[in-house]
Amino acid sequence: MKKPLIQVQHLYKTFNQGVQAVSDLSFDIYPGETLGLVGESGCGKSTTGRTLLRLEKATSGQVLFEGSSIFSLNEKEFQPFRKKMQIIFQDPYASLNPRMTIGEILSEPFTIHQLARGDQKKRGVKQLLDLVGLPLAYVDRFPHELSGGQRQRVGIARALAVSPQFIVCDEPLSALDVSIQAQIVNLLKQLQIELNLSYLFIAHDLAMVKYLSHRVAVMYLGHIVEIGTSDLLYKNPKHPYTQALLSAIPLPDPVTERSRKPIILKGELPSALNPPKGCPLVTRCPFSMPICAQVKPTMKEVAPAQFAACHLEPG
Amino acid sequence: MDDRFLFSPLQKKQEEESGVNSSRSSYWKDAWKTLRSNRSAIIAFYTLIFLMLMALFGPMLSSYTYYETHLSLKNSPPSTDFWFGTDTLGRDVFTRTWWGARISLFIGITASLIDLCIGVIYGTVAGFFGRKTEELMMRIADILYALPYILLVILLMMVVGSGLFSIILALAITGWIKMARIVRSQILQLKAMDFVKAAYALGASPMRIMLRHLIPNAIGPILVTLTFTIPTAIFTEAFLSFLGLGVQAPLASWGTMANEGLSALRYYPWQLFFPAGFISLTMISFNLLGNGLNDALDPRLRR
Amino acid sequence: MKKILEVKDLKVTFNKWHQKIEAVRGLSFDLYEGETLGIVGESGSGKSSAIKALVKLHPESITQMSGQVYYGKSELIGSTDKEMQKIRGREIGMIFQDPMTSLNPTTPIGAQIIEGYRRHFPHISSKEARAYAIQMLHRVGFSQPEEWISAYPHTLSGGMRQRVMIALALAPKPKLLLADEPTTALDVTLQAQILILLKEIQQDMHTTILLITHDLSVVAATCDRVLVMYGGKIVESGPVHELFASPRHPYTQRLLQSIPRLSQTKEEPIIPIEGSPPDLSLPLKGCAFCDRCPSAMQICAREEPPLFEEKVHCWLYSPRRL
Repeated sequence: MKKPLIQVQHLYKTFNQGVQAVSDLSFDIYPGETLGLVGESGCGKSTTGRTLLRLEKATSGQVLFEGSSIFSLNEKEFQPFRKKMQIIFQDPYASLNPRMTIGEILSEPFTIHQLARGDQKKRGVKQLLDLVGLPLAYVDRFPHELSGGQRQRVGIARALAVSPQFIVCDEPLSALDVSIQAQIVNLLKQLQIELNLSYLFIAHDLAMVKYLSHRVAVMYLGHIVEIGTSDLLYKNPKHPYTQALLSAIPLPDPVTERSRKPIILKGELPSALNPPKGCPLVTRCPFSMPICAQVKPTMKEVAPAQFAACHLEPG
Repeated sequence: MDDRFLFSPLQKKQEEESGVNSSRSSYWKDAWKTLRSNRSAIIAFYTLIFLMLMALFGPMLSSYTYYETHLSLKNSPPSTDFWFGTDTLGRDVFTRTWWGARISLFIGITASLIDLCIGVIYGTVAGFFGRKTEELMMRIADILYALPYILLVILLMMVVGSGLFSIILALAITGWIKMARIVRSQILQLKAMDFVKAAYALGASPMRIMLRHLIPNAIGPILVTLTFTIPTAIFTEAFLSFLGLGVQAPLASWGTMANEGLSALRYYPWQLFFPAGFISLTMISFNLLGNGLNDALDPRLRR
Repeated sequence: MKKILEVKDLKVTFNKWHQKIEAVRGLSFDLYEGETLGIVGESGSGKSSAIKALVKLHPESITQMSGQVYYGKSELIGSTDKEMQKIRGREIGMIFQDPMTSLNPTTPIGAQIIEGYRRHFPHISSKEARAYAIQMLHRVGFSQPEEWISAYPHTLSGGMRQRVMIALALAPKPKLLLADEPTTALDVTLQAQILILLKEIQQDMHTTILLITHDLSVVAATCDRVLVMYGGKIVESGPVHELFASPRHPYTQRLLQSIPRLSQTKEEPIIPIEGSPPDLSLPLKGCAFCDRCPSAMQICAREEPPLFEEKVHCWLYSPRRL
């Protein structure tokens, strides 16, 4: 059994106004694998990614990287971990400093961690550009001269500069055109194989998530409701929310699309300020039972390597 | 061309040169283009250049110095000898006007630049560290801001004494707050942007984030505020000189000249007209330029 | 079938930042009563600019338009503001992408519906208008419309706001509904509900829908016919089943290949389209898709392809090819 690279244990994040963005999150990520994290707006997936990198301060819980706890470290002690864990952002228009050239953006990581200087730095930058498929000429360009897809590649190159083992991909495709999304996701796939990277792939495009991820976790109102291998989870979702979500994904095929009827969850998303006491889905679930309103369901194995937090019995 | 050729496959060129914006332009070039299209801002800009050139070379154009007196010719109106006329001591108003320009502009610009330094540092530190630090710093600034500006300057001048550098000091100590506030609000906006978070995630030190990522992207509002601070400083200096707290004779600033010119207004209006007119012209020009810069420099962050 | 809209060679050019952007470069199509026509394209395809141009929503000072748009007997491009005001809302309704900015935050939603309705039907009494507003809210899925009629937009969720937008657009009972990316900003479960709603309403009220989207799946779910736009022009059109089963234009083909399917296995790659969409501020010679097209020929770089087989603008389908 491989040892996990990242272990998240009972992570909680509550924002100032009492908004419970993340509740009791626990999961592992193994070396070289992609864990997809899906859910609708407000489910807390973005917050999860940022909290892992200490861009947000967790309210409670632990995160272990290769067995070492990283939340208890101070900023200086955490510094070496910044080389192992990186992040790619959603908005290619806001993730690059508009006043720096591409070359400067990509050399900065080398400078910060004193990984190279002078000519070595220049060579490093060239290698990064090659890795992501951008021409060397771009070194002197500014972000606003590049397209969205090209900027996203720069973002990826920047994350790779420190040779990380783990990258949080926070909705890296959502702001890109459909024809460009395929370019970027293929690049991510290729880099994962070449560099043995682990990804936490946060996205709302369920088909893309399935394409890139080995395992997928589904979030609802700050909780993980189901987690399992992508093939099995998509074929046989056990949690009612996952079932509703998957039934609602439109397919680019008019024949099947018109013969489907999506499962509609009644009602609206409850407020994160006042989440339901028991299961988070209780107000909308078509199968809710009295126990669902009282007791929060724990994760249990509902199929081989597939876990769901639901009071229903599998089958 | 026959159809056999036309319908044969096309050789594609490299993606090398197909960046998106084939017009390579930087932030400043774009800003200049926008500014150029704003008529009043450009006129203001060249007016200011003109005034500064005259401040530098004006006194050399005339054959008089700013202090020599021609008592027999005192209070004479503008003529071919004395282009702006003479004052009550027979000194050439033209030469004194441009000496006054040197003094007023020097004071205004220097005080504003000091304000810029203090304001940018204060605002950046407050905005960057946030929470308690920011609250404390901004409360202090709020309290200072509530005190009457001119009164403070006068009090300071009384303590420090009069003279060129005292004026600059007094203006600088009281004028930084506006800049600090504007810088702080810019920093707060920028902190939320992903490229700043990326710098954090890379492990950049606070110093690096402030100097490399935050301040350079706040240059727009900083410059615009500067163009509004300068006329305020010039005006305050003029006001002080008007009250008799300005530079000492025989040195003249526009304010001291206006002060002297006021008493002679009834009979020798040119003695007030020239200095006061140039104060107004300078202030209007800076304000128009500031407005133009605001449009030219602002939307660049979001492209 | 009766034609409700005829667009002939529509061109839209913007003058912004000292640049001329040719957003729409010659759009021609017909829209038939009762159908749902989808216009699909990515950013820079010109679809959004085109649809707003149909009802002259672009600021006059920076926009140049040419061509004709016939709504029934009236030609829209040449009509005056006053004439357009009678058509907008009453004959042609619009829903936009972002419900947050399309609703007036200072007015309760019921009042907005009533106001919109009475603008076109001034003789209706306020009592009747109110009853109608409640009916519309119910129609778009509010289970207790009387409770929501005096609610302000900020108290509603994104999905509810989008429903209000639909109610607003449909209240004057327009014959044609223009929907500009109506579900793009919504979560997948909400999207499914809104699309079902649009279909139901179309059947009830016999509205014709012109739907703009970048999402091929949305098109598959809702549209009868599809227009594919690229670089400011239509590249392919056809009935929806045909388009997906046998796409003709290389762009359509590659687009369909670049979308991952839920049914595919990990080993099956998705194939991206290399390059990026064209820069519309530069003049285009030949076919807009030429530099990204795997089957590009010499003629593609020189001349724009005309319409072949009444469906596709592509030199591959020219009879001159052996």
